[in-house]
Amino acid sequence: MKLVGTDRVPVRWVVDTHAREALIAAHPEAALVAESLPLRANLSVMENIAIVPRYRQDLDEDAADAIAMALLERVGFASCAHARDPDLDREERFVAKLLQAVLLRAPLVLVDRPGLMLPDVAYPHFLDVTFTALRDELGACWIIDYPWNAPLYGLSPSAICA
Amino acid sequence: MAADDSTLPAHRGLEARLQAWIALVRFAAAALRDAVSPSTYNSATREVVARQIYFTAWQILPWFTGFIALLSLVVTQILVDAARGLGIFQYVFQFSLRALVLDIVPLLTAFFVALRTGAAMATEVALMRIRNELGTMERMGIDPMRLELVPRVIAGTVSLLALTSAAVAVSLLCAHLVVTGFEPWATHDAELRHVVAEVVSPTAMVALWAKVLAFGLAVTIIPIAESLNAPQRMFHAPIAVLNGMVRLFFVLMLIEVSVLAFQYL
Repeated sequence: MKLVGTDRVPVRWVVDTHAREALIAAHPEAALVAESLPLRANLSVMENIAIVPRYRQDLDEDAADAIAMALLERVGFASCAHARDPDLDREERFVAKLLQAVLLRAPLVLVDRPGLMLPDVAYPHFLDVTFTALRDELGACWIIDYPWNAPLYGLSPSAICA
Repeated sequence: MAADDSTLPAHRGLEARLQAWIALVRFAAAALRDAVSPSTYNSATREVVARQIYFTAWQILPWFTGFIALLSLVVTQILVDAARGLGIFQYVFQFSLRALVLDIVPLLTAFFVALRTGAAMATEVALMRIRNELGTMERMGIDPMRLELVPRVIAGTVSLLALTSAAVAVSLLCAHLVVTGFEPWATHDAELRHVVAEVVSPTAMVALWAKVLAFGLAVTIIPIAESLNAPQRMFHAPIAVLNGMVRLFFVLMLIEVSVLAFQYL
């Protein structure tokens, strides 16, 4: 199932950093997944994810850890649950940030420049696989990207401009 | 924002220092307000407090009390030997109790916690600020003051109170052992009890624990506040830690001198 680039997970094309920042600023209610928002370095991936329900819903440690672990298993990244940020590869780090955003239950999830966070993979496919695994957990989700990355999504920049 | 004072003209350096003190007072007021607010505490914050107390107090309790015992035995023995030579042995117990229990041990404990925990907190918070981890938490709707900073202030203060209690008890016992020639069961006379009661009087205890409370707040609030003021540049991390520790040293000494002046002048 393809989600990225469809109405379910649309790509919002921005022409420069000002447009990108304006788009993010226009949605303060959104949960943001971005390179500039790091994980807590001295917490494991599971703790980083579990801190959201623990803090916001006052869940106890075991219940919050179970939620985090279930999501990690669902996206196939359970093996990194106990690793900390410096020991993660980029995909693992991205998934941890995305799961934090999912658990925030915000009305919108914004994934800001996935290419910056996932430079070593064909990220539209990776996002598709990950979002598909999380489709019943994920509300509205937009990807923010530049038009010159459109070919990676199977589109031409001119088609986007049009 | 704090800056590397050495790179600024004199008046700018003074201004930066003044701003750092103002920021410190503001952070202290906010931290104390949040510390007494029940809404600060939930499952996550309670765990941070517990973990911090474990690392700050429980983990090092055996080694620290061992060190205090050794120090108390050595210092008291030196005083006893010197007092015998001067013919003032009967005053030694009172003197060593006053010096050790009321001044040296609490100050050493504060320095120990400052060096071990204060420096670690300063570094951790500076890196959290520089890496924008605090900003990330805010973006997620998680208050870093409530989740990360106030629990460290509470736990550090509680740890210092606990470590000082243990250290005072150990040093009291050691001083007693040395003065009584390691035969405490043979010297339970009224005079000895009178000396202990005089030194550990209610007034002295109030002054002691007020001082330790001030130490506890200082060793946590000052390093954290200084690190929160650090510019978000990696090379400012050591400067923030250095500034915080220097400021902490002067505040600890100021507290100690103030209490000494209050008690003896």
